[in-house]
Amino acid sequence: MTTIANVRLGKAQTKVTASSHVPGIREGNAKGNVAHEPGLTPKGRGLRCTARRSTGINPDARDPIDPKMPNLTPA
Amino acid sequence: MNDVNQNIEVEHGRKLVSMSWDPVTRIIGNLGIHTKIDFENNEVVECKSTSSLFRGYSVFMRGKDPRDSHFITSRICGICGDNHATCSVYAQNMAYGIQMPPLAEWIYNLGEAAEYMFDHAIFQDNLVFVDFCERMVKETNPSLLAKAEKTPAPNAEIHGHGTIADIMRSFNPFTGAMYREALQMSRLTREMFCLMEGRHVHPSTLYPGGVGTVATPQIFTDYLSRLIRFIDFVKKLVPLNDDLFDFFYDAMPGYEEVGRRRTLLGCWGSFQNPEECDYRYENMKRWGQAMYVTPGIIVDGELLTTNLIDINLGIRILLGSSYYEDWDREERFVKEDPLGNPIDRRHPWNQTTIPKPQKRDLKAGPYSWVMSPRWYDADSGAHLALDTGGGPLARLWSTALANMVHTPFVEATGSSVKIHLPKSASFPEMDFEWNVPKWSNTIERDRARGYFIAYSAAMALFFIDKAMEHIHQGDVKVFQDFDVPDEGIGCGFHEAVRGVLSHHLVIREGKIANYHPYPPTPWNASPRDEHGTPGPYEDAVQGLPIFEENGADDFKGIDIMRTVRSFDPCLPCGVHMFLGEGRVLEQHHSPMLGLSGHSTEGESR
Repeated sequence: MTTIANVRLGKAQTKVTASSHVPGIREGNAKGNVAHEPGLTPKGRGLRCTARRSTGINPDARDPIDPKMPNLTPA
Repeated sequence: MNDVNQNIEVEHGRKLVSMSWDPVTRIIGNLGIHTKIDFENNEVVECKSTSSLFRGYSVFMRGKDPRDSHFITSRICGICGDNHATCSVYAQNMAYGIQMPPLAEWIYNLGEAAEYMFDHAIFQDNLVFVDFCERMVKETNPSLLAKAEKTPAPNAEIHGHGTIADIMRSFNPFTGAMYREALQMSRLTREMFCLMEGRHVHPSTLYPGGVGTVATPQIFTDYLSRLIRFIDFVKKLVPLNDDLFDFFYDAMPGYEEVGRRRTLLGCWGSFQNPEECDYRYENMKRWGQAMYVTPGIIVDGELLTTNLIDINLGIRILLGSSYYEDWDREERFVKEDPLGNPIDRRHPWNQTTIPKPQKRDLKAGPYSWVMSPRWYDADSGAHLALDTGGGPLARLWSTALANMVHTPFVEATGSSVKIHLPKSASFPEMDFEWNVPKWSNTIERDRARGYFIAYSAAMALFFIDKAMEHIHQGDVKVFQDFDVPDEGIGCGFHEAVRGVLSHHLVIREGKIANYHPYPPTPWNASPRDEHGTPGPYEDAVQGLPIFEENGADDFKGIDIMRTVRSFDPCLPCGVHMFLGEGRVLEQHHSPMLGLSGHSTEGESR
């Protein structure tokens, strides 16, 4: 039984040294993830998005049929 | 009203009646106000503010994954949780060494602007104004109501209420027109918030590095259409507030002394400017000053600093009347900031929370779970008990004096803030100007709230324009990827709705080693510190002249309650775990994706 100040503490149910992340499990925030998204091209601090972003299935086919047309992102 | 316990004692030849309001209603959490009142001289002689709620965020944050901290700290509050999430994201960005894409910053700003509009409007119109409504005034100051019936409202053409008494009637709970309209407006502003941050009040789309909001023209136009409807409401609200508050000054000479305290205001800045903000500590002065609400510390009407680094270095967490043990023998996590400035042992980066529950002792202390945050002024050597003026007063004051915000809709002048609102359905273009007031008192705290609603609405128009510039260029990047460092420190500075908000984070071995959120209420509701300096509530109520017409036997304490509520008290953030009787305590331990799944252990008592 640990006592801090005048508070009696119960048995700790976890250790502070317990891992907060299991190595090998994919992290959504990991560097490089954004670059793997189809239809996103770096532009300054932002990104230029194109119609390729509309779907992961055959994304090239989503570009406009005429190169003179604006290549717009679906969202 | 509340439970009023009475005791009479004689001190220094004055007959003092002890009166307590514990808990104070129409606020969040357990705030108790304990006073001694001299009814013969109509003055509150002593005031102590207490909180009986302990929570312990800074205790249980340790050892957790820092990436969870904005989701966890959001739960500190059920009304401004998003302010915590945002501030935590700012602190994490600094610790991870990343900058958010500009569009993400505009989305944060739009979400936070909607939050200010929502929270200030609902607090002002549905909670604060109950203290100023016809039914309340009839009970506490019948002669004032009689005068209000005969006093025409100067801005009646705009808001449609002929006399001041009509304004008071419009704030009668559940029946008054403004009271009900404000409730409808709160739905609109919440919808605006949800478009940007996913969910109110614990956002689902805010992460360090950006947002998960899918930035389409549609969400911005959905936001804008609601905003324009809300602006219609704001155009009525501001002149109506002015009419009512000016009447109080005119009808009750000396009312400016109610809730007045020395001007000691703090504002930590809000609405980042993505062109300047890189979240690097070294550059914090520059990007802090580029914020669209300028950070600042105002002492006796003078702006001491607008530099967030100075503000950070001066924060001290004192004890004195709080139920905690000192942490002077505990580990010092950050000895120097990234610029080499020494970090004090009493700074949040170095704080260790050691709760020590005990009986409340209002005479000799301790008597509260709230600590005593102070700002150390190196020039005077004083630990200043800064307040936030309920949030808006400090924000507008700092922005006005700093003269650094210049946008098409909001313009600081050095002594005022000009707010321009475009044409909306019922009204043409309108301009408002908030001038630095003569006093930091109850009425000015409440008046500033109305103006800051207009400020947020005007700023939101600017943010939408900026966000749409990115959308039109096909730039919809809203997230910056990052890796969590093994070691790092970060601090976030933001404005919760009711004032200053800071989060201080220390990462070691990829986990949280120390985490201390300091929201506005610890500043405002703090008890007497080790130097004997009273906290702002105590200070504002002590010496307060009483204008209530009821005597001691039928005393409601309306002037005291107006004063306390003018600070927009919110106790859940004031003390960082409350387990009611018979509650189930469950522990969910991360990692949730481990091989054994997550462990859940429950214990019923």
